[in-house]
Amino acid sequence: MTNKKSSYFIIIICGVLLSSAVFIFFAALQESKRPAETLQQPGSETMALPTEAGVFRRWAMALKYKDMPEGGSRNLATYYANRAYHGAPPLIPHPLVSEQGIGGRTCLQCHENGGYTEQFSAFAPVTPHPEWLNCRQCHVPKKTEGLFAGSNFEKLQAPPLGQAAMPGSPPVIPHGLQNRENCLSCHAGPAAPIAIKTTHPERVNCRQCHVPAQQEAEVFERPGGELGSNW
Amino acid sequence: MSTNTLDRRSFIKKMAALSAMAAAATMFPGIVFPNEQERGLPQGDGNIAWKKSPCRFCGVGCGLLIGVQNGKAVAVKGDPASSVNKGLCCVKGYHSVLALYGKDRLTRPLIRRNGKLEPASMKEALDLVASKMKDTIAKHGKDSVAIYGSGQWTIPDGYVASKLMKGVIGTNNLEANARLCMSSAVTGFMTSFGMDEPMGCYEDIDHAGVFVTWGNNMAEMHPVLFSRMLDQRLRRKGVLIIDFATRTTRSSTASDRSILFKPQTDLAVANAICHEILKNNWHNRGFLQKHCVFKKGKTNIGYGLEDNFKFTDEPKDMTLAEFKAFLEDYTPEKVSKLSGVSVKDIKYLASLYGDPNKKVMSLWCMGPNQHTRGTWMNNVIYNIHLLTGKISTPGNSPFSLTGQPSACGTVREVGTLTHALPYGTVDNEHAREKAAKIWGVPVGNISPKPTYHTVEMFRALDRGDVKFIWIQTTNPMVTMPKLKRYRDGAKKEGRFVVVSDVYPTPTTDVADVVLPAAMWIEREGMFGNSERRTQHFEKMLQPQGEAKSDAWQMIEVARRMGYEKYFPWTEENHVEKIWEEYYKFHEGDKHGIAPYEVLKKEPGVQWPYVNGKSTKWRYHVKYDPAAKGDSFDFYGKPDGKAWIWARPYEAPPESPDKEYPFWLNTGRVLEHWHTGSLTRRVSVLHQAVPHSYAELHPTDASRLGVKTGDKVKLTSRRGSLVLPASVNERGLPTPGQVFVPFFDEGLLINELTLDAFCPISRQPDYKKCAVRVEKA
Amino acid sequence: MPIKSYLALAYENQLEALRSELLDLGCEVIPSENKDVLVVVTDVPSQAEDEVLLERLQGLEHIRHLTLVSAFEDEKS
Repeated sequence: MTNKKSSYFIIIICGVLLSSAVFIFFAALQESKRPAETLQQPGSETMALPTEAGVFRRWAMALKYKDMPEGGSRNLATYYANRAYHGAPPLIPHPLVSEQGIGGRTCLQCHENGGYTEQFSAFAPVTPHPEWLNCRQCHVPKKTEGLFAGSNFEKLQAPPLGQAAMPGSPPVIPHGLQNRENCLSCHAGPAAPIAIKTTHPERVNCRQCHVPAQQEAEVFERPGGELGSNW
Repeated sequence: MSTNTLDRRSFIKKMAALSAMAAAATMFPGIVFPNEQERGLPQGDGNIAWKKSPCRFCGVGCGLLIGVQNGKAVAVKGDPASSVNKGLCCVKGYHSVLALYGKDRLTRPLIRRNGKLEPASMKEALDLVASKMKDTIAKHGKDSVAIYGSGQWTIPDGYVASKLMKGVIGTNNLEANARLCMSSAVTGFMTSFGMDEPMGCYEDIDHAGVFVTWGNNMAEMHPVLFSRMLDQRLRRKGVLIIDFATRTTRSSTASDRSILFKPQTDLAVANAICHEILKNNWHNRGFLQKHCVFKKGKTNIGYGLEDNFKFTDEPKDMTLAEFKAFLEDYTPEKVSKLSGVSVKDIKYLASLYGDPNKKVMSLWCMGPNQHTRGTWMNNVIYNIHLLTGKISTPGNSPFSLTGQPSACGTVREVGTLTHALPYGTVDNEHAREKAAKIWGVPVGNISPKPTYHTVEMFRALDRGDVKFIWIQTTNPMVTMPKLKRYRDGAKKEGRFVVVSDVYPTPTTDVADVVLPAAMWIEREGMFGNSERRTQHFEKMLQPQGEAKSDAWQMIEVARRMGYEKYFPWTEENHVEKIWEEYYKFHEGDKHGIAPYEVLKKEPGVQWPYVNGKSTKWRYHVKYDPAAKGDSFDFYGKPDGKAWIWARPYEAPPESPDKEYPFWLNTGRVLEHWHTGSLTRRVSVLHQAVPHSYAELHPTDASRLGVKTGDKVKLTSRRGSLVLPASVNERGLPTPGQVFVPFFDEGLLINELTLDAFCPISRQPDYKKCAVRVEKA
Repeated sequence: MPIKSYLALAYENQLEALRSELLDLGCEVIPSENKDVLVVVTDVPSQAEDEVLLERLQGLEHIRHLTLVSAFEDEKS
């Protein structure tokens, strides 16, 4: 068999897909015989995690990202070193404006949209979940290098990059998406570590080509549940 | 085509299918496809199995998914299927599995020989514990042995302790550390409603328009629920968060209004709110007439500072007119002078509660509970909700939060307190008969007289009335108030102290035998959280070294004492068997619990579990199958009514004076949980807050000439402590107040605290005592 | 050699009927376990055949809605 150059292309049908999705969704709602009251229960609306709605967040920035200069100083090694295990919330690696407050008003000044900060001579990384305002609930600073007692915890390492089916095909997403469903916040812009920076931020609908790898994509499933699998 | 091409084509097809599944997931949330379709695709994080468990830390009870790989827990994420946290955790939850792997895990038993703890075999250690317990009972009677457990016990642990002590041995010397954090909540519920635990649930947060946090720094202590409140404020118009507290915290800065009051005066402010509600006719007349009665109890009830303190309240009937007359002492003007809260703020709070168009949720935890009038504080918050009829319906919710993962499940529901049984109290003949029948013991075995509550139990250990104590999953040598007395007492000659724990602590330091415990997901168990939700977790990991679960340690000792027939289970099936037995205590629609198989499947089940359904709101016929009539039914009380109590303001036992001019307030920080024995083994958490500190107001700090990091010496009538000052950092105490977190075993703030307690709940007040502050 | 994936919606309680119709056309079908939705993967040798197939898919008796999700062209040089 001769050497074949395999190429792939993907038909962009995002618009069609989304509009039909919306249509189907509402059609389904109309067909259902649930009383209006239950539809309005705020409980069903709150904190819908993991939501996939975030995929398209920051899309308006996409073209700008393309033209943004290189020059970020973050690399993957420090990126991984700054958390307890692959998937853990990262630490706050810099001095803080204030210890009072939950962080929403302070942290988001730089981390909602990023940009260059003179103070640290660096581009601020962008949070994929700016809707969570109690930043300090999960992100804490490091005030000492010391330990109270040593640990035998074995740090879960991040999987290798570039896991693709074949040369040139789109690599899979090797990490969980919960709270990190907005791709562009970490994979585009000057604060993105070079190794995981996308070459094509303008294509926006990342999940059209990049799909979650098996294990982390797998959502824990129960045979039943108070909330069913439909909450 | 070559195999290669075939592989590639089948791969592309899989990718195509997966894209479609991903797209389907965005359009139909919760859609499920058969698992096998996902096999054979590129690997993410290797072979990680994700298993459900409630979080090991606070009483919120977040659902976690624990990533287990090669027999080790390696990662954590929030369980999106849990209605508690819907996928979000806090920093402790995300790093909780690191707490399993501290280098200094206790993996073998230790026995004190010639003053030194030395390694021993499990058999030898358990033999020794059993023979000591038996000998002590033979020589000094049943009431000379005690077990002191924990709200971090799983439900089976607490159940075994209760059956062993109360049913088989026949002593009520069983207490748990939840006495130190939740007993005022319990007595508050019992006196107002006749049944323990909240009527509402976390879903109230999604309905309420106003949140009032009473002495409760939720942004740090219950962060996941606080985030849910913030989220609601973003989504819904007009949602308000009001922080009512004694110092400025992260919760205050995130709230819409922060109102500060002087320590202890929350009682008066709550009464002033009631005064305003009645004065402005904001009360719900129909509700009051139909569903409430007014009561008064004893006043000047003391503080329990002396040994063998006794108190029994006597409820007397009252009319609404008499209740109004009682409130005349609590006009906003009078209370403003006492509390430091402006008249305007008092009226504002009253107007929020009084507005018939606002749904109000009150939330509290240690502020009102660790209070020498803790039961009264709980009563007066219920009074506000009862006067306005804002209760037992979605969004109208007085909500008592808990601090430990199973304070509700294990301590309050199993009843691991001196006066309690898994159903009812020891002084109730019917409850004793029921317990005796289920346990298969003679009813005469169960003593009708409560013995020692926690503070008195450690006083009894000091006096020598208790000679043997077995402490499990808690660290009283850090948490007892007026610590020195109780530490010295535990170390006295002729006392035998057994400690089951996972790490060395100041409590293992005073032990004669240390037993290594299997922690959390190294064994099977259940926790019960603040909203009556029971959550099961399976054994995911092997216990380290020779560690055994607390329940199994007690079963082994019981067997050695000749009680095998009461504990006939195997190590593999005992959790299931215990649940089947425990289930019988709560049968019925008022407190029914879910069967074992259901618990294994569900992300958590709220009792009363009736006809296969959790009950979200109690005491209303619309939501609660046990409620009768056409609306509310407070069936916990024999008269079917909720009780509104006239509870006056009474001063604390110790207030700042010339010699000790500062208030000392103690508490927690977000990163550390309780005594830090777990969280300090987590690098991220320890490195974020490596040690304790004393928060001072900037004016006090500059007067003393200290800045952040400088050493200050705090002195009370009980002891003194030198620690670094913290000025304008995380929290801001009012002038004349100092706040110290209690997690640091190297800086034991409880050397200074006072062992005064609420005479009704016997819960100590860790929030108020008088200290002197000097530059050290 | 186009490979395409679709989401197909069935009418209520018609999932099984739709599934067998799709299988008859030689498609790979992954039905959802809890919704009336199927993932359909098609693999045909040429563009022309693909167009024919699409027409037949759209004409199925039990199909309520069909949405294309992704398409791959495995080109030969």
